[in-house]
Amino acid sequence: MDRPASRAETDHGTGDAPTGVSRAAPEWLVRPQVGLCPCGCIGRRSRAGFLARTIDGLADVTRQAVFADEIASRPGLLQRLDPRTKLLGLLVLLVTASFAHQVVLLAALYLLSLVLAAASAVPIGGFLKRVWLTIPLFTAFVVLPATTNLITPGEVVVPLGTWFGHPVGLTLQGLTGAVLLVSRVAVSVSLALLVTVTTSWPRLLEALRSLRIPRMFVTVGAMAYRYVFVLVEVVTDRYTARVARTVRRERTKAGRSFVVASAGALFGRAHQLSGEVHDAMIARGYVGECRTLDPPSFQLADATAAAGLVLIVVSVLLAGRALAG
Amino acid sequence: MAHDQRRVVHGDDHQHAPDLEPRTGPVLSLEGAHYAYLGKYPALDDVSLSIDRGEAVLLLGPNGGGKSTLLKVLAGLVFPDAGVFTAFGQPVTEDALEDEQFNEAFRSRLGVVFQNTEAQLFSASVRDEISFGPLNMGLDQDEVRQRTDDLCALFGLADLVDRAPYQLSGGQKKRVAIASVLVMNPEVVLFDEPTAALDPETQAWFLELMVELHAAGKTIVVATHDQQTIDRLPARGIVLGPDHRLENSSATPT
Repeated sequence: MDRPASRAETDHGTGDAPTGVSRAAPEWLVRPQVGLCPCGCIGRRSRAGFLARTIDGLADVTRQAVFADEIASRPGLLQRLDPRTKLLGLLVLLVTASFAHQVVLLAALYLLSLVLAAASAVPIGGFLKRVWLTIPLFTAFVVLPATTNLITPGEVVVPLGTWFGHPVGLTLQGLTGAVLLVSRVAVSVSLALLVTVTTSWPRLLEALRSLRIPRMFVTVGAMAYRYVFVLVEVVTDRYTARVARTVRRERTKAGRSFVVASAGALFGRAHQLSGEVHDAMIARGYVGECRTLDPPSFQLADATAAAGLVLIVVSVLLAGRALAG
Repeated sequence: MAHDQRRVVHGDDHQHAPDLEPRTGPVLSLEGAHYAYLGKYPALDDVSLSIDRGEAVLLLGPNGGGKSTLLKVLAGLVFPDAGVFTAFGQPVTEDALEDEQFNEAFRSRLGVVFQNTEAQLFSASVRDEISFGPLNMGLDQDEVRQRTDDLCALFGLADLVDRAPYQLSGGQKKRVAIASVLVMNPEVVLFDEPTAALDPETQAWFLELMVELHAAGKTIVVATHDQQTIDRLPARGIVLGPDHRLENSSATPT
């Protein structure tokens, strides 16, 4: 194909063009270009690759945050409580769950979390999915080896075969321990999730500070939360810009290169941004404290919740003692 | 959607591809488009517009009116929740763009320069950034090298070709972003605030370039607040109001 001669090569720096910028557009740019191919479908499909799916997953972070903010603003039982009450309540219930050694007690606590979710206008389906599709499942994989008699000796209830001449199987003691651990994690994650989705992030940070959590931790948490969205936006915008100039189907290798290059650029950008944002915050009087309008205050609902919490804890401990005895 | 059985054209013979799309009528057309971010924050409300081949259009309106979203819809990067978008005589949907030939045809004919320049530059060097599009189009190496050199000279980037885009100044980044789209020589170019971050001299020069591209037959859509662009680009004005609806469009004085 003939290469179009460039007028740019022969016409430099005239008129009001900036220094070093040639004045005229190259000939090929002002000549109509026949389309790359006919503008119509042929039926050969190009499905979203791992890169598109990963970016979609990242964008979902923003969607979930918007959804969580919406839940936190709904009228519900936990939304009416002071964030400090919720945080202290969470702490007490987590400690209680760690002292519960019977699955039935943990099941009762889990049921409590579901009741609280329903009373706080948290969609139960999404709540169950977020809890059970992530951490408890991961925990189950981690504790799987501990259910065998190789790690936890005891009564083999499910024989699996032999290994170097030794019979191998799942033991009753191992399985009981695994179920206990998974239940405990599920209860803990459910309770923590309940507190975070029914409390807006600034209120949560403020509550952490008022409970004497060191300023450094709260500041890091606040910045991290803010950056997640900024960086997610940077990544999705970059990907969108790339899609706009990606004419042909991408090879997986090219996608991987993009991810690596983006990770590097993102690191540099995050570093630069952290300095700029921190400077902007300091310039407006930030000294490490998160302040909001309408500071939280303890109400009758908080006192009622505290009384209910004490009742639950005492009941669980007494029931645990009775079951153990 | 129905798939027609047109010939797939790849590689070096792209210059001889039969151009089967209609040469008259609107090149971009939007009917009753609604779009809301995260399904919650409205950006476009019942927007209908038609842009003819070779036309220049200024997209005006207040901040947050939906200009950038409208450009993204026209670029096939976001898809309306309701309404129909047609480009080059074909309906553009997420499903249609999964068709390899349609995606190639659409992306090679339409270029978009984003408002957020930072996000548009993703390659390791200015040279890689500018050559990304034409390499993707399957142009031969010499052609890509020539086009890249031409645009580096045109945009005053010749001394910066080996620099990482994120190391450049705001105005330099903007020039790289514009060059990286024009290098594909698209038939339709969408610009979102193209003169932002450019110094006055470069702005004036760039406006002349836009006028030249328009005179050469390119369809140009510019979202802008810049008075100089509004005054100097002979174009039809379209206003997106704060209610995310189109107000009366009109021809701007030439």
